[in-house]
Amino acid sequence: MAAEAAIGLVIGGSDWSESSRIVTLFTREWGKVRALAKGGRRLRSNFEIAFDLLTVCRVMVIRKSQSGLDLLTEARVEERFSVLRRRLAALYVGYYMAELLTEGTQEYDPHPALFDRAVAQLRALEQGMAPLQVASEFELAWLAELGYRPRVDACAVCGGRAEGEVLWSPSAAGMVCRHCRAEARGAVRLTSASWQWLQAQSSGQPAGNLTSWPADLRAALSLTVTHVLGRRPKMLRYVDGPS
Amino acid sequence: MAVTEQGVLGEVLQELARLPGIGPKSAERIAHFLLAGDRSRAKALADVLQRAVERIHQCRECFNLTDQELCPICQDPKRDGSVLCVVETPRDVSAFERIGRYRGRYHVLGGRLAPLENVGPERLTLDALLQRVQRGGVREVILATSPTLEGDGTALYVANLLRPTGVAITRLARGLPTGGSLELANPQMLADALEGRRTFH
Repeated sequence: MAAEAAIGLVIGGSDWSESSRIVTLFTREWGKVRALAKGGRRLRSNFEIAFDLLTVCRVMVIRKSQSGLDLLTEARVEERFSVLRRRLAALYVGYYMAELLTEGTQEYDPHPALFDRAVAQLRALEQGMAPLQVASEFELAWLAELGYRPRVDACAVCGGRAEGEVLWSPSAAGMVCRHCRAEARGAVRLTSASWQWLQAQSSGQPAGNLTSWPADLRAALSLTVTHVLGRRPKMLRYVDGPS
Repeated sequence: MAVTEQGVLGEVLQELARLPGIGPKSAERIAHFLLAGDRSRAKALADVLQRAVERIHQCRECFNLTDQELCPICQDPKRDGSVLCVVETPRDVSAFERIGRYRGRYHVLGGRLAPLENVGPERLTLDALLQRVQRGGVREVILATSPTLEGDGTALYVANLLRPTGVAITRLARGLPTGGSLELANPQMLADALEGRRTFH
């Protein structure tokens, strides 16, 4: 069976034996993949210490047609993000992105746009973007990719114009008008700055950097992610602080 | 290959096969070696394992494994108590002790911060480390966690925790292995070595 090439982001791993590792990669080509790297814990191996978390690497994989783990035969580091080793807040956001990719996607279900976005957000961290902004932008991209693109141009329940007080419903994944407020339990009241940022983000316009990261926006997005995932992601405790 | 033996022998094989690095075939070889002919070796092994389980615990001061209240390193008056080497596991202490060059003391964290695996700060011996440093007498803390992202994250967390105490905080150097060849070094090793270069005397 011939080995196939892919580029992936390391989003998890565990030791398999004294010298081998099971690695979880989010690849551009195939989505989430779990594969065995025999000798992957040795410093001198074909894997070039590429399996550290949140490393982008090129890999060669022998895919098993039936049961059993795929086999990694080679790996080369493509990109690392040194900010993750210098700033805890950046590291926590990196872990959070890994958690969303792990928990929100299925094996061999490719999402190339989400892979590109994850790498872009890690680069943004490297270039100094505020970790909470990186997290928020990634949450929006993750929701959109999973089919929950938040509605910000009209009420997510009735489709009517949302005027006056701006409310965000995590269960409806978007804005809700005053009339639908009762149906949208746990709605979060948004400031106009947060609303404008969300509108700019969803229309693909440059949303700019907010001077301080608003708590209402973080609450709206993290509650929506929690609703979609069916549980609160464990990294939110580190990214946003205890709920 | 699954364990097929029944009864006590099957249990022995099953327990042995749970050990790291031991597969079913090795388990079978070890079990038959222990049970063939003179069984005094098997009894001695069983006795010492029994005693180890009953008596070995964590050192009150550094959390290394010991059968006394304080481990031999914490009891040794010749060790320099002003330098603390912070490691993840007792195996790391053994690794440092094997080189025989370090004369300070240790603090074993009991793992590394891995929030994705539910290992948060509360699971490590960080409070005890902070108290140890706050008690005074420590001038340098060497962060000797693994050079992985999680190890570096743990080092970062510990450094932030200890910074207000004013103690000097250092991190192990990283880069090229002695005796290695430059052309065979991977790009990360070379980058680390370049970044951590020192004045040549």
